[in-house]
Amino acid sequence: MVSLLRNQKARNVLLQVLYVGSLAALVLAGVMIARRNLAEQGITSGFDFLYKSTGWDVNFSLLPATANDPYWWFFLIGIINTLFLGSVGLILATVVGTIVGLARTSSNELARLLGRTYVDIFRNIPLILQVFFWYAIITHLPTPRAAHEAWGMLLTSRGLYVPAPNVGGVAMALAILTVIAAVVLPVWLGRTSRLSQPIGKRLAIQLAGMAAALACAVLVLLVARLPDAPLLDFPALQGLNLKGGLRIPPEFSALAIAIAIYGGSYIAEIVRGGFKAIGKGQVEAALSMGLSPWRVFTLVKLPLALRAMLPILANQYVWLIKATTMGIAVGFTDFFMVVALTINHSGQTLEAIGILMAGFLTINLSLAAVFNRINKAIALKGNQLRG
Amino acid sequence: MISGNATESGGPAVRIENLDKYYGSFHALRKVNLSVERGERIVICGPSGSGKSTMIRCINRLEQHNGGRITVLGTELNDDVGNIDEIRREVGMVFQHFNLFPHMTVLENCMIAPMIVRKRPRTEAEATARRYLEKVRIPEQAMKFPGQLSGGQQQRVAIARALCMQPQIMLFDEPTSALDPEMIAEVLDVMVTLASEGMTMICVTHEMGFARRVADRVIFMDGGEIVEEAPPEEFFTSCRNERTRQFLSQVLGH
Amino acid sequence: MEMVIVAPPAPGRLEDLRRRFFATPLQALLSLASLAIMVFLAWNLLNWAIFSAVFTTSGGPEACQAAAGACWSVIAARWRIILFGLYPFEEQWRSALACVTVVVMTVLSCIPAFWTGRRIALVWGAGAVLYYVLMKGGVLGLTYVGEEAWGGLALTLFIFVTSCLIGFPLAICLALMRRSELPWISRTTGIIIDGVRSLPLISILFTFAIVLPFALPQWLAGDKLYRVILGSALFFSAYQAEIVRGGMQGVPNGQAEAAMALGMSYWQRISRILLPQAMRNALPATINQFVISFKETSLVVIVGFFEILASGNAAYGTGEWRFAYIEVYAFIAFIYFVFVFSLSRYGAFLERRMSVGER
Ligand SMILES: Nc1ncnc2c1ncn2[C@@H]1O[C@H](COP(=O)(O)OP(=O)(O)OP(=O)(O)O)[C@@H](O)[C@H]1O
Ligand SMILES: [Mg+2]
Repeated sequence: MVSLLRNQKARNVLLQVLYVGSLAALVLAGVMIARRNLAEQGITSGFDFLYKSTGWDVNFSLLPATANDPYWWFFLIGIINTLFLGSVGLILATVVGTIVGLARTSSNELARLLGRTYVDIFRNIPLILQVFFWYAIITHLPTPRAAHEAWGMLLTSRGLYVPAPNVGGVAMALAILTVIAAVVLPVWLGRTSRLSQPIGKRLAIQLAGMAAALACAVLVLLVARLPDAPLLDFPALQGLNLKGGLRIPPEFSALAIAIAIYGGSYIAEIVRGGFKAIGKGQVEAALSMGLSPWRVFTLVKLPLALRAMLPILANQYVWLIKATTMGIAVGFTDFFMVVALTINHSGQTLEAIGILMAGFLTINLSLAAVFNRINKAIALKGNQLRG
Repeated sequence: MISGNATESGGPAVRIENLDKYYGSFHALRKVNLSVERGERIVICGPSGSGKSTMIRCINRLEQHNGGRITVLGTELNDDVGNIDEIRREVGMVFQHFNLFPHMTVLENCMIAPMIVRKRPRTEAEATARRYLEKVRIPEQAMKFPGQLSGGQQQRVAIARALCMQPQIMLFDEPTSALDPEMIAEVLDVMVTLASEGMTMICVTHEMGFARRVADRVIFMDGGEIVEEAPPEEFFTSCRNERTRQFLSQVLGH
Repeated sequence: MEMVIVAPPAPGRLEDLRRRFFATPLQALLSLASLAIMVFLAWNLLNWAIFSAVFTTSGGPEACQAAAGACWSVIAARWRIILFGLYPFEEQWRSALACVTVVVMTVLSCIPAFWTGRRIALVWGAGAVLYYVLMKGGVLGLTYVGEEAWGGLALTLFIFVTSCLIGFPLAICLALMRRSELPWISRTTGIIIDGVRSLPLISILFTFAIVLPFALPQWLAGDKLYRVILGSALFFSAYQAEIVRGGMQGVPNGQAEAAMALGMSYWQRISRILLPQAMRNALPATINQFVISFKETSLVVIVGFFEILASGNAAYGTGEWRFAYIEVYAFIAFIYFVFVFSLSRYGAFLERRMSVGER
């Protein structure tokens, strides 16, 4: 026995078996105890509950939802809400971050100071505090009767009311997809593999693609518009309540604003880092070729900075998506809140936690996969340009 | 000879029998046999990739061999953890890139192993460290950090550090090949002194002058095998093997 | 002919200004726009926060609400609940002292003289014990105050400090295991680390606070506070483990080989050779991680703790101060800002110093 313990190989095997074994035992014991405890409360384990109706409602959904819908439908709604809030927050944060980041790298001292102040303030205050703050601000807005009005939008304590096109849900989704295509298409059409074509021709192709996609969007909206109604539905006061238009609930706006501002301050730093990573020599070479500062920016600085930024940006985006779980603090039904409510109402604790983990793992992995693809596609070929 | 603790006296210092070593499917050492007597000084040379480092790193188990037997000071090197510890205590090693601990002063570099491995009291460890630093002729650098020394000085500290454990065998893996020419001499001087005091030494080096002066035997390796094994006079004048001759003409040629 | 050497005229103040801010029309526009934004924001902020603000409680909430500016009287009236939560009124000096302990501890660990494993552990261990004794009492003539009465800033700091205290050693263990040569250990640890990192912190806190009691035998479940601390320590350690691992990767292989050749055992190699160097490499990223996890401590409000955010909500949520939410949030934001900003500045300073000092 003693000699076995002194044997390196035996020791290695023993260590591994002990480690993996005790972990597995721990998890197994936990699951077994939990199952027994839950069984005592009359909860049978298994995923059958997914087909039962929930009996409770969600306060925000892009899909139709009632209390009669089954649990799996609510999980789907939760995931879609998370992704929706995540992408809105992500886009806004990227816009804010790019502007502030550019200000931080600009040659103008005042702009730099402004950008730096922004980053220093908003990076150093916890996101959840910012969420609470914006939520308090929005819910303290005037009631619908005394609403602020601006450009057909109404700001009230019940949410932001914006004009909405009078079209069905499917058509709306289609239109949104085509608008996204209008943004993505020019990028795809301008891939480096087409670099051999003259720049004017490339630009024309990109513009044509964008215009075509936008035209499709307009066409969809015009064709699918509801009969006997104006194309745009403006919100208006009727009695004590607001009718018409699209209501963006305070929970959603508070989260989106907070994520945009907080995420923006992080993305600004990433943008700044990306521009700092550009070799001086490459910029000088471009300037010495007589390119205008704007051309130097779009043709040299931006592409190089983007490549440097992308991996870190991917991490930040994953973080932002996870940050949507703060929705539960103000009552936005994201994926996590659906899970928490499920545990509260149905008691299917283990299953719900399992679904939660699987959901976030899937989101993370797919996001990572997408960014890896992009990264590979735009990575500098060979290694001549590093450093 | 400075004697350490409980290892069997008598018998060779190192005996290697039918040693086999694989890196994955790559056969790095092929049935190597070598026996080194106590107090003997061996120089190993050979072209790059011939397995010299691999062989001497097997002697203190920085690499694990896959076949054959290695016996060091009468203790067999096998999976027994106790044997490995015992052998490492008695075998010192000097590396090509010094591998000094950058976060410790020169003195601490020399004191740490005697204190925590041999459990010597601090005062004794410090006295030993200072004695060996004197011996490698840099007592005045004791309080500096490795990063503040020249390459030659660093390598001499590395030798002192190994000696502070009072080993019975010293392994050198190309101790001078990362050094500028003017620093090579100072390191070789220290090694010559060490040899003259009767230390058992196994040196991988291409310094043929050193081999001539101190080696009892010169070993030539190629392709994971020992190709030639002879006392220096014989090795340099009348070697039998074609590959050895080629190698020698290259090394001595310039 | 006469040679006249004319020194270029020293640029006057005005010229200097023109060059810096108005070199081109675009620059001028940018400068003016930035200046306008800054002046506008600064003026409105100052006006709100100072010039038109009410600082005394004398007028009561009514006078305060009527004022155009900020109503700092809410802080004057409610600062105790924000900082100390529901801690017994006469004992609140203990809570304050405990907060000071944490600040002193943080400052001490920023001094290089304390950067050895033993000293850092001593500072944090002693600090945590002192904090615990001060807050909980029951010994040394201090009256007993149970954890359920802890709150406000003091609770936030407690959760942060204990999470780090548990999470840091755990992170080192995880990093070592992930680097292990034994495939099953490194792979399993890798799955644990990546799994935890892919989950949002809130879901982990929720699991530890609410779900874990189901999966534990009664005698092991413990207080909710300590389960949540364990959860946040686990989350911290998963991130910190990757940072430590990065630091270890920066230590050349030869270091471990040299230590092995000297006969050092595994633990001696780790503690004397590998970790000191790895931690030095990982220092800037570590401080950054501390900053992030301090901010994330605020999330425990979601699983129902009365930490600073919840106590802030309570400070304005009840009774006559309902309108003064902005002031309360600004006050809490300011507290966070002071902690986080100074720590991250310190991190940036270290990073600069280390990149200059590199040999
Ligand atoms: N860790 C390793 N993994 C895989 N192959 C290795 C490893 N270490 C060495 N080798 C291979 O084993 C062979 C012998 O290497 P070794 O380092 O012993 O050569 P060497 O004689 O010391 O050469 P040099 O004079 O360049 O130091 C080489 O072909 C090398 O590529
Ligand atoms: Mg070698």
